[in-house]
Amino acid sequence: LPDPVTQIVQLITSTYFLEIVVFPGLVSIAILGALFTWFERKLTARVQLRIGPMYASPAGGILQGFADIIKLLFKELIIPEGADRFFFIMSPVTALIIGAALLGLIPFAPGVQIANVEVGLPAFLAIVTLSPTIVLLAGWSANSKFPFIGGLRALFQQTAYEIPLWLSALGVVMITGTLNLTGIVQFQQNNGWLILPQALGAVLFVVTSTAEMERLPFDLPEAESEIMMGWQAEYPGPLFMLVQGPAFIKLYAFAALFSTLYLGGYLGPAIIPPIVWFFLKTIVIIVAIMLFRSTFPRVRLDQLLRQGWTTLLTLSIVNIVIAYFIVVGVPAI
Amino acid sequence: VVSQGIPEETGYIIFLFAATLALVITLRLVISPRDPRPTPEKKAPFESGSGSWIPRTDHQSQRYYPYILMFVVYDVIAMFLFAWALDLRALGAAGTVPILTFMVVALVPLAYALHLAGQRENW
Repeated sequence: LPDPVTQIVQLITSTYFLEIVVFPGLVSIAILGALFTWFERKLTARVQLRIGPMYASPAGGILQGFADIIKLLFKELIIPEGADRFFFIMSPVTALIIGAALLGLIPFAPGVQIANVEVGLPAFLAIVTLSPTIVLLAGWSANSKFPFIGGLRALFQQTAYEIPLWLSALGVVMITGTLNLTGIVQFQQNNGWLILPQALGAVLFVVTSTAEMERLPFDLPEAESEIMMGWQAEYPGPLFMLVQGPAFIKLYAFAALFSTLYLGGYLGPAIIPPIVWFFLKTIVIIVAIMLFRSTFPRVRLDQLLRQGWTTLLTLSIVNIVIAYFIVVGVPAI
Repeated sequence: VVSQGIPEETGYIIFLFAATLALVITLRLVISPRDPRPTPEKKAPFESGSGSWIPRTDHQSQRYYPYILMFVVYDVIAMFLFAWALDLRALGAAGTVPILTFMVVALVPLAYALHLAGQRENW
């Protein structure tokens, strides 16, 4: 073989390259995004006794997501009058980068992890904290009333639910004594899944992360029936695709983080490889969160904020107390 | 610490991204429809047909501003709790009194702020 060819083959087959570009990196995210978009539409349709997408392939329209990506990518780019072009275009791009950074921290299987950061859990939560700013900028830069209202709502709700999210994940850190996500999985290998001692924390985590990813019943920032998709209203085809991307990636990343923190991540009987275990758990969580969409009505903004700042915050402190007694032991009275 | 610095493949990956982006932009230039002279209606913000009535420099209620301040303060406090939680096994019950003091100092003002907020009609 001539030298450049060898180099290219070495490059393409190197683990780092494969992890970032193919799996668990970008190509797999795009394919999973297209498949899950189809799956969610089909699932919602089944719940509502409809058929859902069915034309894009012989197998029940399974290629619908890919067809949508191609269609949206090549639509006309219309930027509304008076919009701040720089922030309007850069906000979805930044949101996509932030979302992809989340998935880089997740241990998919032993060794299959893009960045095994020592402080993986706080790093994940800190990256999540950036997203309300991006959404507010996206809504504000569009120079239109519905996107602006949606952006403000996103800011309100994501800041209100951020602290209960941090505190519910704190229980896991107290019990495992590590911030490294692989370390948390290894702890569960020796001590059992954390969903049992941290049941309250797990419920809080699901509720707050559903609010963080703006899905029903907490999808006020993009409530279709009130404010016309909110902060996404003005985005034309290609940018709308970039907006939808982070929405899916956040769902995927939060479900993956949930199965890592509470369901033992890639652990499971050795009949099935670890990566399959990981995806089984993650898909169960994703389907559960998708079913919220077809089962719960949307809450009002004041209810959302009141519950976030009072009930959820109190419950997350109760969860910390539970975790404290699990670690230190209940004193004999 | 697990990190080993930036591997040399990073340059190629960035090149691959740039190439993909260039391909999509070139295809867009060829395929996508373009409107050289869009009408005012087309460029107007979408407002369900009600017509644009919000001027560009619109004002919004700042009532939520205290919550944002509270968020900043309590997010940092949650960060400090992570440091305590990490060493909880080593500290054991010995760390309880300081962290309880810390939590009380942190949470009493929060409770007071929420009490004030609860007296208002509008959150």
